[in-house]
Amino acid sequence: MSKRASAQGLTALTPIKNGVLDGYSYSTHTLKYLQEMPLNEHSLMAKVPNTYFSRFYVLNDVFYQGSPADEEHLKSKYLVFTSNFYGDLDDYLTAMWRSTNGEVRDIWQHCVAFDKVNDAGGFSRYLQQCKVRNQLFFVGANNEPLAEQLKALYLKQAFSRFVFEHQALASQGAAGAAKLQQAFREFIKTTEPANLEKPTWVAGACSEVVNDAVPVGSVADAVGRSSAKSGAGTKPQATKPGLDKAV
Amino acid sequence: MSNIAGKAYAMNVVTPMKWYSVWFNKIIFWGVQLPMFTGFLKGLVTLSLIHYARWAIVSPRQFPRLDISQPQEDLKYHYMFFFSNFNGSWDQYVDSFNAAIPDGLNLFWHRNIKYPGSVPLQPFHSYITYNQVWTNHYYSAYPLASSNDVKSAKKVKDGLIAFADTSKDLPADDFLKNYNRLLVSLQNDLSQMEPTPIVSLSSEAVVNRRIERMRAG
Repeated sequence: MSKRASAQGLTALTPIKNGVLDGYSYSTHTLKYLQEMPLNEHSLMAKVPNTYFSRFYVLNDVFYQGSPADEEHLKSKYLVFTSNFYGDLDDYLTAMWRSTNGEVRDIWQHCVAFDKVNDAGGFSRYLQQCKVRNQLFFVGANNEPLAEQLKALYLKQAFSRFVFEHQALASQGAAGAAKLQQAFREFIKTTEPANLEKPTWVAGACSEVVNDAVPVGSVADAVGRSSAKSGAGTKPQATKPGLDKAV
Repeated sequence: MSNIAGKAYAMNVVTPMKWYSVWFNKIIFWGVQLPMFTGFLKGLVTLSLIHYARWAIVSPRQFPRLDISQPQEDLKYHYMFFFSNFNGSWDQYVDSFNAAIPDGLNLFWHRNIKYPGSVPLQPFHSYITYNQVWTNHYYSAYPLASSNDVKSAKKVKDGLIAFADTSKDLPADDFLKNYNRLLVSLQNDLSQMEPTPIVSLSSEAVVNRRIERMRAG
């Protein structure tokens, strides 16, 4: 695995057992499980701390390029897992087991020798046995811990909205300046820029979910914000009951 | 299964290469990471589409064999695995990659079997398409954000914290002047992130159902 500053890249190829179970190959079972895994903030990987991006695919075989290349085939199928994350590999894999309460077992359950994995340490050793070396790991974004990135994204969204909603005050002389300053103080108090825990974006959310509040950008929020006076990033009350749930 | 998580696209490519070419590719990958050659990757940085990308070369013996019950791979070729997380469509990415580092592509995929070269474009497109593997589960921690959003968000956060600190005791007029300076410094970084064009088909369906329920009652 390659290190580049603090963002890391894990590439692991885990062999899937040959043979069948209940009429389907082990690789088909694995494929089915992956395809049915919940997505986005409900994904298992959303529970794993400091995961920027991760993916799974089943490599059924290598590709024949055509004559005069030689045709060859894999003797096993492989579950390919990659993760871009922040921090130490062993810590990350240990946390992956613990934060998912061992649910990761279901992903790898049909892989060779995985029945011997029973705890976080074993899981980490198993995947490290399967990792392949990255020749080049390119980081196009940044090397911040995920909590920093999510908080920064929350603030970018909230402050952009604040600037838009208060732009008129800048041209209203001394009175406008005073109102802007007061509004900004409230904004800072509400958004707590230095507090990484909250308010912040929820990992994996495909709509703007801020902790457990009404998602900004949702229909409920649009209804609520139409009567809001504050420009802060937290959400006003929804005006209709039953709509204040995150997507 | 999907290659898409919000604004991010997952590309996986697996290509064979002859054993005697591998050393050259490994030297290239090692070399571009040296300080004197980091300019070579400048094209990738300029692209600004990419969150993270990696290349791994796996020899026949390096395919993990975890038990004697598992058959040993008997392969002639080494295999290069390429993974990318980027923003935009497949076509935009491949074309941009091709435009930004055409020579780099030729070096990175040097002597891969039947690699047609990065120019002209169509054979390169066909080569990538043929050797691409579909992702079965893809996760992004911030589907709403592009790579540029992540980078600009850091600037906004740092600027905001610094400004909040220095402005708290200022008179209103001075506050306004400094506030405007802050906005000028962040003018390229402030924008609303929206789920466009489509965050995910499933979440779009959920939103549409909620709208229908709201209209119904």
